[in-house]
Amino acid sequence: MRQFYEECKQAVIKGDSDLAQRLATEAIDKKEPILDVIENGFVKGIEEVGRLWEDGAFFLPELVMGAEAIKKALSLLNPVLAEQQKRNFGKGKLVIGTVEGDIHDIGKTLVSTMLSANGFEVYDLGFDVGVDIFIEEASKRGVNCIATSALLTTTMQKQRKIVEALKERGIRKKFRVIVGGAPCSRRWADEIGADGYAKDAVAAVKLIGELIGGS
Amino acid sequence: MRFDLKELLCKKILLFDGAMGTMLIDAGLGENEIPESWVFSRGKDLLDIHVKYIEAGADIIQTNTFGANGIKLSLSRYGAMLDPEETNRKAAAIAREAPERFKDRRVLVAGDIGPTGQFFSPVGSLREDEARDAFRQQARALDQGGVDLFLIETMSDLREAVEALRGVKEVSDKPVVVELTFDKKPRGHFTLMGNTPREAAEILGREGADMIGANCTLGSSPMIGLARELRAQTDIPLLFQPNAGQPVLTEGKTHYTQSPEDFAGDIEKIVREGADAVGGCCGTTPEFIRVVRGKLEDLGKERGE
Repeated sequence: MRQFYEECKQAVIKGDSDLAQRLATEAIDKKEPILDVIENGFVKGIEEVGRLWEDGAFFLPELVMGAEAIKKALSLLNPVLAEQQKRNFGKGKLVIGTVEGDIHDIGKTLVSTMLSANGFEVYDLGFDVGVDIFIEEASKRGVNCIATSALLTTTMQKQRKIVEALKERGIRKKFRVIVGGAPCSRRWADEIGADGYAKDAVAAVKLIGELIGGS
Repeated sequence: MRFDLKELLCKKILLFDGAMGTMLIDAGLGENEIPESWVFSRGKDLLDIHVKYIEAGADIIQTNTFGANGIKLSLSRYGAMLDPEETNRKAAAIAREAPERFKDRRVLVAGDIGPTGQFFSPVGSLREDEARDAFRQQARALDQGGVDLFLIETMSDLREAVEALRGVKEVSDKPVVVELTFDKKPRGHFTLMGNTPREAAEILGREGADMIGANCTLGSSPMIGLARELRAQTDIPLLFQPNAGQPVLTEGKTHYTQSPEDFAGDIEKIVREGADAVGGCCGTTPEFIRVVRGKLEDLGKERGE
């Protein structure tokens, strides 16, 4: 791998947003092939961050800083890339949000950032998002996945409501619904008829990739 | 009426109560309600839950104030309608009524303090002084409502736990218990932020916590190993409140991945590892506490208490 790509990768692993931005600017100035810089540099970095998280060597601060670093780099690189080759996200679109009554935002935002970094088109609806808002936004944006986060045993029932509301409206099959958050589990996803459960941001990228990655 | 926590802990293993959130759901917590709103709308039902836990054998009950700090309330659509001070004062007063019905027993009320839901830099933008202000406000109101001690719980950031501890200590000299929430990772037990049991014991001990421990995240079985690890680090009294596995809800009914008997069996092992106090977190019910009470009685006889 070229030295420059390695530097981009390391900037994300170190969670150094300034360095990531400088490298992104350098790549643009030097007319580097932007897609290669992203895929062989920055994305390799966030993948390594994900691995270190799974190994238990990295914790939330490192994960968030890595995600921030790649976000900063991509905010500079994506517009240029779009010009270079009319970038097609290709990996699928989704809406994501924390359910109504729940203000826990950080895990959801991290999932959202990681998905964007991995090439998904993400519409982050924020926190305390009503069932109707999820469905309206999902329909309006033409996405194929609704990702829902709930951090409390008292709010997780809203995830069931989303599945039920989709059924009632006869549009359940249009969307893959996935659940995440501390009290959730694979079994919970099965119980409420959701399409999947992910235990953290790294797992969510994998899961959503499997569910809608090819669409 | 003051009490000496240390003295109490010398006499017996203290039993805290179990979950509140899942009990509220069973009692009909509505879609557009947050648990704290029941302090105003369903005080009688809250009191019933407290009473059930005392009947089951709890020595200490926890106020329904897990999410009642000003920061968390203000960010939620339904919470923003509640005044933090009034909510905490009222919740403490409701809990206070429950022990009155059990004149023959000494039951204490712990003012429950949960995390703000926000994070310090670099994860979020919460400032230490903001957090401390919110915890100080909550603690003062709980104190006014008549709690006997404070229980800071489910903290995934040691820094936030320290701010809560300091905030409480600034307004009250009643005992303070601090529980972090740890997960088991390939390299040991860590909080979400990467704090270890060793760090937690050292820093919370230095900050003057009267008892420390762990709750949530882990079920009772993996909590045994954490109890061993934490006991090896400190002489401070220890409290553990594991989950009853992951709660799963069907048709509004709560199912548990674990039976009360299994849970109580693990609690016995946690006590043998050196816990001074135990209780339950998510998914536990008065029935769990009742079976644990039985186990503790047997253990007490064995120890000649």
